Amino acid sequence: MTALLDIKNYRLDIGTFDGPVHVLKGINLTVNRGDTLGIVGESGSGKTVLVRSVLGIGPRNSKVVEGSISFDGQDITNLPEKDWTKIRGIRISMIFQDPMTYLNPLFTIGRQISDVIAAHEKAAGQGVSSKAARRARTEELLDQVGLPNPSMLYSQYPHQLSGGMRQRILIAMALAGKPDILIADEPTTALDVTVQAQVLDLINSLVEKLNLTVIMISHDIGAIATVAKRCAVMYKGEIVEQGMTQDILNRPQHEYTQRLLAAVPDIDVPPERVAAEVAEAKPAKRGNLLEAIDLKKVYRTQAGADFTAVNSISLAVKTGEIFGVVGESGSGKSTLARMLMRLIEPTSGDIIFDGQNISGLSGEPLRQMRRHMQFVFQNPHSALNGRHTIGDAIGEPLRIQTNMSRRDIEARAEALLDIVQLPKMFKYRYPHELSGGQKQRVCIARAIALNPRLLILDEPTSALDISVQAQVLDFLQELRSELNLTYVFISHNLAVIRQICDRTIVMKRGEIVEQGDTEQIFLAPREEYTKALIESGRKTSQAANLQA
Amino acid sequence: MTAHPMTPIDTPMEDTRPLTFRERHASQIRQWRLYAHMFRKSFSSMLGLSLVVLFLILAAIGPLIVPYPEAASGAINMSAKLQPPSSTYWFGTDEMGADIFSRVIIGARTSLWIGVVITGIAAIVGITLGIIAGYRGGWVRAVIMRVTELFLAVPGLALALAIVAALGPGITNCVLALAIVWWPGYVRLVEAKTLSIKEELFIESARSIGAKTPWILWHHILPNCMSPIIVKMSMDMGMAILSAASLGFIGLGAQPPSPEWGAMISVARTYMPDWWWYSLFPGAAIFLTVLGFNLLGDGLRDILDPRSRDR
Amino acid sequence: MLTFAFRKLLTLVGTMIGIAALTFLITNVAPGDPARLVAGPNATEDMVATIRTEYGLDKSLPEQFIVYMGELVRGDLGTSIVTTRPVLEEVMRYAPATLELVFVAMFLGIVIGVPLGMLSAVYKDGPLDQVTRIFSISGVAIPAFWFGILLQLLFSVDLEWLPVSGRLPLVTRPPEFVTGLLLVDSLIAGNFSTFWTSLQHIILPAIVLSFPCLASILRVNRAEMIEVLQSDYIVAARAHGISSFRIIALYALKNAMLPTLAMIGLRFGWMLGSTVLVETVFDWPGIGLYAVSSALSSDFKPVVGVTLMIGFFFIVANTLVDLAYAWIDPRLRKA
Repeated sequence: MTALLDIKNYRLDIGTFDGPVHVLKGINLTVNRGDTLGIVGESGSGKTVLVRSVLGIGPRNSKVVEGSISFDGQDITNLPEKDWTKIRGIRISMIFQDPMTYLNPLFTIGRQISDVIAAHEKAAGQGVSSKAARRARTEELLDQVGLPNPSMLYSQYPHQLSGGMRQRILIAMALAGKPDILIADEPTTALDVTVQAQVLDLINSLVEKLNLTVIMISHDIGAIATVAKRCAVMYKGEIVEQGMTQDILNRPQHEYTQRLLAAVPDIDVPPERVAAEVAEAKPAKRGNLLEAIDLKKVYRTQAGADFTAVNSISLAVKTGEIFGVVGESGSGKSTLARMLMRLIEPTSGDIIFDGQNISGLSGEPLRQMRRHMQFVFQNPHSALNGRHTIGDAIGEPLRIQTNMSRRDIEARAEALLDIVQLPKMFKYRYPHELSGGQKQRVCIARAIALNPRLLILDEPTSALDISVQAQVLDFLQELRSELNLTYVFISHNLAVIRQICDRTIVMKRGEIVEQGDTEQIFLAPREEYTKALIESGRKTSQAANLQA
Repeated sequence: MTAHPMTPIDTPMEDTRPLTFRERHASQIRQWRLYAHMFRKSFSSMLGLSLVVLFLILAAIGPLIVPYPEAASGAINMSAKLQPPSSTYWFGTDEMGADIFSRVIIGARTSLWIGVVITGIAAIVGITLGIIAGYRGGWVRAVIMRVTELFLAVPGLALALAIVAALGPGITNCVLALAIVWWPGYVRLVEAKTLSIKEELFIESARSIGAKTPWILWHHILPNCMSPIIVKMSMDMGMAILSAASLGFIGLGAQPPSPEWGAMISVARTYMPDWWWYSLFPGAAIFLTVLGFNLLGDGLRDILDPRSRDR
Repeated sequence: MLTFAFRKLLTLVGTMIGIAALTFLITNVAPGDPARLVAGPNATEDMVATIRTEYGLDKSLPEQFIVYMGELVRGDLGTSIVTTRPVLEEVMRYAPATLELVFVAMFLGIVIGVPLGMLSAVYKDGPLDQVTRIFSISGVAIPAFWFGILLQLLFSVDLEWLPVSGRLPLVTRPPEFVTGLLLVDSLIAGNFSTFWTSLQHIILPAIVLSFPCLASILRVNRAEMIEVLQSDYIVAARAHGISSFRIIALYALKNAMLPTLAMIGLRFGWMLGSTVLVETVFDWPGIGLYAVSSALSSDFKPVVGVTLMIGFFFIVANTLVDLAYAWIDPRLRKA
């Protein structure tokens, strides 16, 4: 039997100002009918370029240097555009990462899907069926992907739907042509944890029901393991390892795979740290460094309705601990974090830092207070001004808050680079020349420049690759003991929270659902919501699949 | 998702010797070389740059190199009036016998002056108001933007015409009127840009380390607004020159015999069609100057604005 | 949608009041004595004083403004000194000629600019794109008055294909007044030879007026098409097997039309302003020529009247563009 998809020694270059970049280096991959193949890789590994090449929609300025891709016995490496119409979307189709940007905002859902159906009918050589027939088929597809009320959805626009619904609609579109191969490009990355689990379930049930052949790419090994029986690991444009998913997860052969798997935080493993810390002599008295009392934030929407982002939250952070805040998007955790630092004005409530009520401060006293509390942002790519050098970025707090001389600031910036384990010459570089992990270290250096006592970390690792994420988390823990810091750590990732936080609050729609010692919450969650959250976190975590 | 051309720097060897200038500024040097490379690749950008440079040279040294410098000040030489182009008078002569070539070259300085003043005033006023409106929000923004929209609600040339009519004709009033109608464009551009930059994390980050508003405006917002401002200023140099020439043509701008291109065509029109050269050459000078600034601005946009860039 | 339209209408009225205030400020805050301006350069002190009382210029500025606004509401734009006739009456008489010219020029700009922009986006960096790039930047850079003179030289003087200037020859009797647009009125009257003559007259000024507009519509449409064609949803549409033609002509064009529409609105106003140049070159009896000749004879009321009128047309056009926006983009409709 010939393979459905056969990629042989495929090499692809992209031309840039600095000369060609070798994006894919000798890829060999076969997919048989009925296979479910996962491709794991971090950003820049070339996985997206690879699957797009299979559909003939690779990047501009790219050039196939060597090798071939054949589909069902036909060589499609350099297929002319008109021949693609018989394959694209009909025999091979694709679902995408961010369902918002991949749907045209100006056309109704129904119009977009029925257009796809019409295009397929035209390509198949049969006449285009009537509008009503296409509508019926569209509604059938919407029903198939588990969307309620298809006839109403038909005339709605993408902006009226939630992220999960939009992803289902993209899946419905991809299924319109009854494809031989379905390619899923990070189908869950842009979604919330609970929605992720639902979408993965849907893909699994469709695979079973329609006997689909699936290629799914993701940076999330957990998601891959849920769907794919076979799996390939990509690193810097090469496939370093492939085989059965079970085998790779249990006995990774390649050094990179081992590193990657070790870096994935595991939701079901209690951190070793707990034991270590108990043994440690605890400080005599741990007072509260930061307290929030009855904190509330109400936004007024354009329609005039009130929207409560954070509702009456009280919490106390002890000196020296890592205080976790966990919740899905929209739970108000970022708003809470910003209020603690007075970056957003609370509607009501008090914030007490080191015994001083700071909710009434303004002007100069507020500026002074900011020396003691610093913030590390989620996305290091936009948290640094692209027009400032790294040295300027790290020196900025010193220039604003102190009257140190230029020379002293330079020296201090170098010392800080040293602390965050980056070479000194980075101070002459610009942010776009650094990798994500390096940028996050620069942000941390900037945050600790003034020797603060409290760091508020807002999803500090979620924009980073998994292997980098682990490094940054380790580094943060080291830094805390070195500099006697207290952390407020915000995350949507339960495994990360469990790994590093002493105490945790769980938030939902602006309110605290549950709070207590982290281990206690994970071992014996009291509330339904917490249980559900941990359950869906577990589903996308690797451990469950290893045991299965 | 495409591969980013800039690869992260590999961790280099720590070295104790002081870095050379070249090493310290490697990033900037690379950036400028990339700009130069992209600019040179485009024929139209280079054409624009050449035209602008030529224009600037003429404006700087024009009066020193022309064959008949006195032609600019309205010298009369009736014996040579309305001569067609020849080796003595390259562009012919006008009804006063003045050499059109000399007058066109000397006119470059007037036009440069007009362009710089109008664009300069408009940019300073517009950028200041725009950045304040965008960053402050609230009623300050409401007031600034309402006034801006009001000015934009009347076509610029029509409004300028009304203002000049009120002030009285003349080149100073014409420049003043155009500056008055020109600034709202900058407010709109800078306000929109500020609004989007304001939402960036690095602004919040600057606030979190205790930066004051002026610091944020100067160090963070303004530098990130500069690309579109530079592009617009380049384009506006051309458009301001064109508008001033238009008012000159109508008869409300520079008054003859001052060597302003628009005013020259205004007089020349009465000598059509037999003395065609009289209006042809000043018009061509306006066209090439404005074309130069526009091509330059367009080329700058291609390299400065990543949205229009391919990679 | 209806409330949206209503809100736009309110904005329209507000902006109109604003423009009136703006013209008032220009006349009164400008350095120099408005009474002297009205009286003309050769007036004696006594004459100036008389005019000052007659025009109410001795009152305070706010009082004058209220009087001015009251006059505007009653449709009184003042009287022209040169012709001694009401400005409103004259503006209304000249406006159709200008509108006819602008409409024809706009039509040319859209039907040529949009397809050319689309094609140069699709064949980006190809020979056509290079040509349209130079062409479109020339369009914005070329002085309209000079371009008009060149066209007159070539087509009217040299080739003698088209008339030099004016709307109709003096000997031709204009068709019965219905809309004031000669092209339309002559068709209504069934008079095809007049239609043909007026078409010959309008073609050169319309080309001159439309050239910059065509150029910028082309550029905006090209830039937007390029961006839209690189967007995720177009990638998705391609991946789902929709044909390239359909993607370009339907999906991408609709998305790219939004900024293009904004440019069309902007250029409409710009054209109204540029009529002062084009009408001067072609002796086209519209409000632009009226404003220029009044300004040159220091007759100020007509200039203000024309400015108000142009502002009014521009605002109406922009309101229509806003409505078209909401019609195309569902995201704007709900507000």
